Amino acid sequence: MKTMVEARNLRKSYKRADGSTIEAVKGVDLDIHQGEIFSLLGPNGAGKTTTISMISGLVAPTEGDATIGGHSITKQPMAAKRLMGFVPQEIALYPELSARQNLAFFGRMYGLGGKKLSRRVDELIEFVDLADRQNDRIDTFSGGMKRRVNLAAGLLNSPPLIYMDEPTVGIDPQSRRRILDTVKLLRDEQDMTVLYTTHLMEEAQELSDRVGIMDHGEIIAMGTQAELTQQVGEEDRLEITTGAQNVGEALTERMQQDIAGLTRVLYNPPEPIGENSGESTPARLTVFAKRGRTALPQIIQTLDAAGIDIQSVEVREPDLEAVFLALTGRALRD
Amino acid sequence: MRSILTIIYNDLSIYLSQRGNLVGLLVIPVLLTLVIGWSLGRIGGGGPTRLRVDLIDLDRSDLSAHLIEELRAANDALVLCPLDNDADDYCRLEDEPLDVDRAIQRAHSGRTRALVVIPAGYADALVDFRTVTIDFYSRSDPMQPGPVLQGLNAVLQRTSSASMTKGVAAALLDNLTTAAQLPALDEETRDSFLNTLYDRALQLSTEQPPAVLFRVADSADDSEGGIDNGFNQSAPGMGSLYVMFTVLGGMAVLLRERRQWTLQRLMALPLSRAQILGAKIGAYFTLGMIQFFIVFAVGAAFGMDFGSNPPALLAVMAAFVLCITALTFALAPWIKSEGQARGLVLLLSLSLAPLGGAWWPLEIVPEFMQTIGHLSPVAWAMDAFQDLIWYNGAFPDVLPEIAVLLAAAAVLFAIGIRSFKYE
Repeated sequence: MKTMVEARNLRKSYKRADGSTIEAVKGVDLDIHQGEIFSLLGPNGAGKTTTISMISGLVAPTEGDATIGGHSITKQPMAAKRLMGFVPQEIALYPELSARQNLAFFGRMYGLGGKKLSRRVDELIEFVDLADRQNDRIDTFSGGMKRRVNLAAGLLNSPPLIYMDEPTVGIDPQSRRRILDTVKLLRDEQDMTVLYTTHLMEEAQELSDRVGIMDHGEIIAMGTQAELTQQVGEEDRLEITTGAQNVGEALTERMQQDIAGLTRVLYNPPEPIGENSGESTPARLTVFAKRGRTALPQIIQTLDAAGIDIQSVEVREPDLEAVFLALTGRALRD
Repeated sequence: MRSILTIIYNDLSIYLSQRGNLVGLLVIPVLLTLVIGWSLGRIGGGGPTRLRVDLIDLDRSDLSAHLIEELRAANDALVLCPLDNDADDYCRLEDEPLDVDRAIQRAHSGRTRALVVIPAGYADALVDFRTVTIDFYSRSDPMQPGPVLQGLNAVLQRTSSASMTKGVAAALLDNLTTAAQLPALDEETRDSFLNTLYDRALQLSTEQPPAVLFRVADSADDSEGGIDNGFNQSAPGMGSLYVMFTVLGGMAVLLRERRQWTLQRLMALPLSRAQILGAKIGAYFTLGMIQFFIVFAVGAAFGMDFGSNPPALLAVMAAFVLCITALTFALAPWIKSEGQARGLVLLLSLSLAPLGGAWWPLEIVPEFMQTIGHLSPVAWAMDAFQDLIWYNGAFPDVLPEIAVLLAAAAVLFAIGIRSFKYE
């Protein structure tokens, strides 16, 4: 399979105001194959945007390099950039111009002109379903419509590779669904390679052929979803919300010893929400088990015997959330 | 190059599509140029307090010296060059000798108000009661004599009257001596008597109140150089001020472009950083030149002088706009908010412009303020505009000012390009 993006030892450090250095990306290695959707999944601040910015030539890496279609982004940036489209997380459009004017301007920057440009703009406006609003200023659009024009601007040069940095942030479910469908369409009908960043596990699961999980500037796991879930084994995950009673370490150890099939028990005590609100998050017990549903009655019985109130129970099949939790001890949304 | 022009065109379209920007670019500068132009025109025609006049004395006699003294006394605004030149070289002689040819050229270019040449043999001609011609060169209309010609005429009239008195008295004395058969006076006594009569006649005509009193402040009808038209000051002044407002305003736009990620999107396109930066610089440079053209067009409509060297005028405008564009790019990376940018634009424009003589000529402020004023690029631009517009200067006359502005632009661009934030 042909490699479209190859990143080796990408690092990015920034200097803080106090003179100290912060390493935002710590040596990322990445291979993205032609025609696949590759998602970088991780919580906010994991280094996804910095990684994508380095691969797209927006930010110069402190160390390492990336190639796009064999062209180095640091040594042959023009050739590399001609092969890619870019859809940033922000609405990178001129709010004072109409959708059509924005697309025409960025199209001219790719060297398009005359009828060819006009045809391409027409196609993209149809593609993102904004024909009736094409001559309206961007600052009169809803969030979802802006996102669609933002996406269209990244497709002007019909690139074989497109970067999308959290393209569904802050939009309504309907617009989100439309964008996710469009991304799949780009791969399935146009054989486009997509590098997609998200902090939403559901999006990564729905879209991705392969996923790289990022945390604290590093890729901590990479592969197909099946490969990644295998890393945590064929375990189910039981999410149990408990009352305010403290689940001590002794209890979690006893559960692991006494109940067959349990591999790990994690307890997150309640945490106050805000300083003075008086409210707190519910206590949560996460139990990893080979056969979760079979072990569930015994788990409930043990907790009940220990005087722990059970408020809700959810059994989840192995997923990327579980992988992240297993690898970092934290939930993706934490 | 096509990409750069497309970005410039796009940036200008966005700028001009905002009604608020049009008010700042067109309405307010035009109104202020008109108000200040008319105000300066009303305040005594805005004329300078001194009039530069070249005077070449080829006779070097007591009588020619007397004529010069009389001319000086006739109008205290006259600076007779090179005789009355000061340490600051007000006569703009630049340590070069002043001969007739050079003086004629200076009068022709408008650098001096006039040239007066006292010919050799002037004193002898007066003594012998012969006609003598004093050459007067000026660009002023002889039918509407300016203050210099009027002063010269008055002095010559007095000198001529005194000379005539002396001649008539001499003839009378000779006829009387002959008719009455009186003994002839010795030469020394005769000359002394006649000179006393000459001095007395001159004194009487000088003490006599002049029929018309000439003052520089009343020289609105004088069409020679200087700020005879208030727009000669207000157009370059308001042009410079509003170039600062318009171009420095780019700091906020550059910050906005970074925040809305349009700058980053350009970075992701197959464009080099030099192309993007060049286009952004080009956009603000073009905007600054448009601003100058608007204000100068207003000046032109109200009879402003443009001097005789349009390329030099364009070069001064371009150097100033480039300098302010460079200042914009040097400051932009340190700006944290649009409010901060707006405050800085107001602070810089409203301090550097008056300091540099955009509101009033620097000539009228104390010398130390003139020195401080030259910390502002506006002062260098205004010096050059004055040279070209008031004194009909040539390209070489404004090269020092252009060089200073371009040097400042180079330093500021070096800082700005080095610290420019693309992300």
